[in-house]
Amino acid sequence: MTRDIHPGNQQELGKIMKTPTITAAALLTTVTAGHCEQLIVNSYGGPYEAIIMERIIKPFEDKTGISVVYDPVGSSSQDYAKIKATNGRPGFDVVVMTASQSLDGCRDGLLEKFTPATVPNLEKLSPAINKIAGECGAVHELQYMSLLWRTDKLKAAPSSWAALFDSELKGKVILPTFQNIMAANLMQVLSVQNGGDLLNNVDPGFKAMAQLAKQSVGFEQSSAVMETYVKDGQVWAMPFWNGRAQLLVDTGMPVDYIKPVEGTIPLIATLNVPVGTQNKEAAMKFVNFFLEKSSQEAWVTGYKVGSARSDIDVPDAVRAKQITTEEDLDKLLLPDLSIMAAKLPEWGDRWEREVVHAAN
Amino acid sequence: MTIVATDSPAAPALRRFALRGYVPLFPPFAVLLLFFAVPIGMMIGISFQDPKTAQFSLGSYQRFLTDGLIIAGLFRTILMSGLVAICVTVMAYPVAYFLARSTSRWRAIVFALAIAPELAGVVLRTYGWLIILEDRGFVNDALIWLGLVSSPLPLAKNLFGVVVGLTHVVLPFGILALLTSIQGIDPNIEKAAQILGASRLSVIRHILLPLSIPGTVSSLLISFTMAASAYATPALLGGARFKVLATMISEQIMFYINWPMAAVMAIVLLVLMLAITFAGGRVETRLHKKLNV
Amino acid sequence: MNRLLSGLFWISLCLILAFITLPLLVVVAASLSPSSMVTFSPADWTMKWYAALWASKWLDPFILSVKIAVIVSLVSGVLGALGAYAVAYEKCPGSEAIMAFLLSPLAVPQIVKGVAIVLFLSSAGLYTLLGTPGLIAGHIVLTLPFAARMIATSIYNFDKNLDRAAQILGASKWQRVRHILLPLIKPGLFSGMTFAFIISFNNIPLSVFLVRPGQTTLPITVINYMEYSLDPVLAAVNVASLIFILTTIFLFEKLGGFSAQIHGGSK
Repeated sequence: MTRDIHPGNQQELGKIMKTPTITAAALLTTVTAGHCEQLIVNSYGGPYEAIIMERIIKPFEDKTGISVVYDPVGSSSQDYAKIKATNGRPGFDVVVMTASQSLDGCRDGLLEKFTPATVPNLEKLSPAINKIAGECGAVHELQYMSLLWRTDKLKAAPSSWAALFDSELKGKVILPTFQNIMAANLMQVLSVQNGGDLLNNVDPGFKAMAQLAKQSVGFEQSSAVMETYVKDGQVWAMPFWNGRAQLLVDTGMPVDYIKPVEGTIPLIATLNVPVGTQNKEAAMKFVNFFLEKSSQEAWVTGYKVGSARSDIDVPDAVRAKQITTEEDLDKLLLPDLSIMAAKLPEWGDRWEREVVHAAN
Repeated sequence: MTIVATDSPAAPALRRFALRGYVPLFPPFAVLLLFFAVPIGMMIGISFQDPKTAQFSLGSYQRFLTDGLIIAGLFRTILMSGLVAICVTVMAYPVAYFLARSTSRWRAIVFALAIAPELAGVVLRTYGWLIILEDRGFVNDALIWLGLVSSPLPLAKNLFGVVVGLTHVVLPFGILALLTSIQGIDPNIEKAAQILGASRLSVIRHILLPLSIPGTVSSLLISFTMAASAYATPALLGGARFKVLATMISEQIMFYINWPMAAVMAIVLLVLMLAITFAGGRVETRLHKKLNV
Repeated sequence: MNRLLSGLFWISLCLILAFITLPLLVVVAASLSPSSMVTFSPADWTMKWYAALWASKWLDPFILSVKIAVIVSLVSGVLGALGAYAVAYEKCPGSEAIMAFLLSPLAVPQIVKGVAIVLFLSSAGLYTLLGTPGLIAGHIVLTLPFAARMIATSIYNFDKNLDRAAQILGASKWQRVRHILLPLIKPGLFSGMTFAFIISFNNIPLSVFLVRPGQTTLPITVINYMEYSLDPVLAAVNVASLIFILTTIFLFEKLGGFSAQIHGGSK
């Protein structure tokens, strides 16, 4: 047995001693070489993953023959951090983020600009809605932050965000971590509710959040984990994107959701393509495919969200609870997303200091 | 290449031999320089940059020292690591003593039980603890079923959960450190004392504990440093409310994109680690000297 | 009093061992449970979570982890052997300082090494090295000290008289290295390589910074998954990878027979 091993070792020794750097470099590159054409799409995990796989990715693969690798890692802001840290070469070709990152990325030159030539379906979207996301974002879904509640536990149906502060909900609320944009949005609507505004005077918002933190059982980053708390009855109310809330309702759970009277903030989700991607053509194809009428219909009915395409056929019952038109959007609170993005680090700090700290 | 040095006794040949001795070091040195020394150097450089302009700045160090949040994270790191070090050492001691002294057939099984979990990787064990400690986990279910508590006790997503998880992760290293030390104590000393009428307790107090101090110190040291630099366990069992330096570093890189701040935190962690190791090493050698005299 | 003490000792020993094994048992039970409620009644147990592992979602990261661990263990073995050879066999001047340099990564917490490497690659514009190449390089830095130390220990332990005898009998240097040194340090080499394999395969603190989409190792895939759900497929993947590691160690042990070495090496 020893004889088998030695000649190999000897060769290896000789080779490496002669050309250490070349060997190292070769070793490093050979492992990465040889990937066939595949598109890496980054989005979220949990129930989202199953739906996007079935409704969008499989049909896309069948139609184009391009194989898709799904990367369910990180929140939108974490994804954007990756794009920024790698100067537009994060390793994924298409990413699901929000209008906020779309604007930032466009300004920093890190995201591809879409044109009707590369993404023909862009012209089918409501111009007013798509304008919010700028040239680098393709709006593929619209949601709003709703108040989700357990119908079997709460005495009466809530109508306002103020319901979260009710004493019957002590220890029965869960909050998002700051990595989830819902955290900042909740703080903003509470700010408006308490006499502040969406961007500059948010002190009332943080004050209310600190109070709300005392009601909460804790913080979770992903919506998927937050909803497990509701499912097993540990949590009776929480802020939640309405699409996900509708999915829960559809499972037959004793839950319902409302658009509180003070108003709420929409989530304008976008598809983006980082500038450094090597599969630009396939990436554009994917973005365009997601915006096709049939895909949007599949997505709206599958993930229970609103669409920026007004020509899609969806049941009225679905449409009634969604944002589908500009008028719907106008009724919501829409902060200036670039200013908000610039404020996030400062707010993150305050969140830790004032909100998380208050929960302890 | 084949025949070296023995063929000629002349001085230049000898010199060549001496240099040749260094040739095999080139590849490992090249790798360590390129992927360890240079990156660490660069990280130190980055720590002195302004996060926005990349100009020279002490701002991140200043922020580290003045920001209550970061200081709290540092304090949590030290508290957590200290508690883990104590728990590990206390729990490792009986196991190590058993392994050092026992001759029974159970010894091999205990050894396997004590060391094998190390192979399982951190995720498996952390996941196990999550199942056990969660609000809807085992312990809480049992307590509620027994009627001891009405609502779940907060066992995970806080200091308690992280310390339990890390103690489990680090325990095998504590056992190994103490085992080596206890094995070095001559069992005849204990026997002699017992024959001379010393009680078990006084044997432990006057012989075993003092003689195993070096092992205890090294167990404390290893546990402290391993806990302070652990990432996965605090991230998964600590949650948003229990952030330590390791998880804050990754947040700076992966969320805030503030490299200088991450670099400063990493450097502080490194200095903390080196200081503890150095101080502990001094204590250890001093104790060794004292005990040998 | 004595009896009380020894009773206490046995109770605490049992409790500690229970503490060590409890989470492992729970994970195994979870991996066999039909729903996310962990059950200990074998009648309800199912293998469906293990069947769910046969999907590219888990297989791809597993294959990548194995690939990286194999390369890392081979390269660490070779580089460690070279370093240990120069330091412990040739005893070239300054060998203590050299060994200290070879071991220096051990003094730096893994997360700090990870940050340093990712900042280096990013600020030097070497983004393409993130992913597999970066993971391999990072893991080698991590495992090289272990390999070098274990191999050096076995060279120190080796009887120099054998070497001298061979030299007197006219064996060339290469012959001695090949027929005397290498066979004798084989256990050290193998234990170093096994260590490297395990460390690389299970690594999190370094990998978490170096993975890239489509090139993500198994443990990182698992912790990413945990962000979204805690379903029993996680337990299955953990148990399966533990079984894989144990099998690998068994194979390495068969090949290299190093178990006696581990103790000496890890002192």
